[in-house]
Amino acid sequence: MTKALAHVVDALDIETFLYCKDEDEAKILAEALAAELGLPHGDVVFVEHRGAGARVRIRSYIHHPGDHYRWLGMEDGK
Amino acid sequence: MKTVLLAPLDPVHDNAIKLLKRKLTDAGYRAVALPPGSTEEEVVAQALEEHPIAILVSRTLGYKVAETLGHLVDLAEAAGLRPQTRLGVGGMAITRELGAELGFDGCFVGSLDMAELLGFLEGHAIAGPAEMAQTAPRSRPDVTAGFTYAWRDATIAGMLDQITDQILAWTAGKTSPAIARAELRAEMLTDPDPDLRERYIALCDAEIQAFYRQGTLPLGVRRLEESELAALPGATAGTRPPFESLRHGRQKPLFFVQYGTGCPIMDITHIRLAEDWGVDGVLHFDPSWGAQREGLLEGLLTHEHDGTIVTLDNLRLIRQYMNPATLWNVRGHRGLNTPETQVLAQAAGADLLKINIPYGSTGGGTDPARLTVDGVHSLRLAARYGLPFDIPGNDELSGVPPQKTFAGLLIMVMLGLKLGARPIPKPLLCYSPYMTIEGLMDADFVDMNFAKLRVWQEIVDAPVWPGEPVGFMTHSPERVQSAITTAAHAALASSAGVAAVTIASSDEAYSKGPISAPARVDSLRATRELLRFFGPADIQPTPRAEELQAQLHAGITATLNAIARRGDFVAAIYEGLLGSQEDGLYPGRTGRGSVMTAAN
Repeated sequence: MTKALAHVVDALDIETFLYCKDEDEAKILAEALAAELGLPHGDVVFVEHRGAGARVRIRSYIHHPGDHYRWLGMEDGK
Repeated sequence: MKTVLLAPLDPVHDNAIKLLKRKLTDAGYRAVALPPGSTEEEVVAQALEEHPIAILVSRTLGYKVAETLGHLVDLAEAAGLRPQTRLGVGGMAITRELGAELGFDGCFVGSLDMAELLGFLEGHAIAGPAEMAQTAPRSRPDVTAGFTYAWRDATIAGMLDQITDQILAWTAGKTSPAIARAELRAEMLTDPDPDLRERYIALCDAEIQAFYRQGTLPLGVRRLEESELAALPGATAGTRPPFESLRHGRQKPLFFVQYGTGCPIMDITHIRLAEDWGVDGVLHFDPSWGAQREGLLEGLLTHEHDGTIVTLDNLRLIRQYMNPATLWNVRGHRGLNTPETQVLAQAAGADLLKINIPYGSTGGGTDPARLTVDGVHSLRLAARYGLPFDIPGNDELSGVPPQKTFAGLLIMVMLGLKLGARPIPKPLLCYSPYMTIEGLMDADFVDMNFAKLRVWQEIVDAPVWPGEPVGFMTHSPERVQSAITTAAHAALASSAGVAAVTIASSDEAYSKGPISAPARVDSLRATRELLRFFGPADIQPTPRAEELQAQLHAGITATLNAIARRGDFVAAIYEGLLGSQEDGLYPGRTGRGSVMTAAN
């Protein structure tokens, strides 16, 4: 069984709600979260803070167009 | 009349059974439904009385599902029912694997498919998704079918006649390096004569010449490797589902998405997922630098930037892996290689071309004189190939008011018709800078967009295809918002009866990376849901839409009048009659001074 990460066609997005005081803190936390999860080049796609926290989406490209895709040639998920 | 026994082996849920009873009765069967909570023994006892051709069992609850269904199969077997009575099962708790494992003859998952069910009852083999896709071939639709191109506004038609006559007279006897290359490329497709290639290379920019002569690839570009191509034949894991249109019962519109990830293999993957999620067609986007160089590359090339390089090999590879029923448009409307792009697109099997002289010769585009010469030649190619061409109206995004953009689209419609081609105008449904500054869409996004679509019906009987994509500048990086605004614009366009729609992904407003596969699914899923929600019901604009439509119509007439009076289409573009610097537009500069006098 190959690693699941190899099956990600291009982007891996993580959406969550962060408990934080404002948007700036949300961005810092989101970037830190990407690093803690080991996501390469994590980017904050979206952040919206209201009241107790912020809804955020973090993106990391596992495969960029033009890369050698690890999923290429995998049939039936193997 | 054949009897079917319907059994909800579930304590409370029998909605599926009620639905099946109605549909089977409509289909001419005697459908006998047992009440919810029936036991396996009661089902078999009833079957022994009714002698049904099939027992269809519904099960929603997952609790003890295998035990209950397995018991039913055992009882049916012991009672001697199986030779005459087929056992089918469906419901939320059922998977194909479970049904097969328990010994059912048929297993139905997902939403009710009556064709599949009736096939089962009549003893035909149940087609799996891949087989169903093969046994129900779709034909490739024609976006222009049913339109007469009759002019309904005689005043506008008269001005367009005058403007386009002037364009054709002005371009007569003129040519360009792009036209010469297109003619050479057409010959090179069938003739390997090295002299043709040398003549082609001589007409290219230095960077393209270096590719052909020294094998130097532009920065960031690489060739696809044999191992990558060898891995392609499967192209996707698993079997492909049967096509499910986004339209929910309506005949129109056709739905398109754009692609151009930079890599043909990634494009193939994105196209196939878009097909699997219900699109009817796709549009190829090339890199912006390809439009600014004289000459095109060759081979199977990939790179890490937006837009997939136009080469015959790239285009053929992409088409090879596309569903045969998927419509395919190759963009070539704005650059220094417009005519050659039409040649390659046709050779690779494109169904639609894209040509717009006014849009392509403004902003960062091509010099107006050059693109007018190239554009007219490209329209002649479209006519010769019998391919419709679409006319994007995206100059609105620079701040041009829609009446000027639409005037440009109309000039292209008339020009195309005069040259024997089939034009498809593409008014943009967007929240453009002009709308923002003028406050014309402050109240809602419905009235102006309806006005922009309906004004076409007053002018000409042509297919209208809003794009590109719909909802431009209404998207945010928030994916729920983005998918919903795309779906809302698609639903509005569908309600207005357009021929086709180009829809965005939920990454439309995300600029720091390529469009992702899940972002495509977001918008397609949202569009499907909203079209399901509206069904045949139409959206009703307020009376203000009629006022906006009248203003738009008057503005188009005034713009065309000014261009007709100017008596020089190219000069009109230079002078800003189709969009001025004040509007946010300026004439393109690429290729300036490259128009040549034809040899004969």
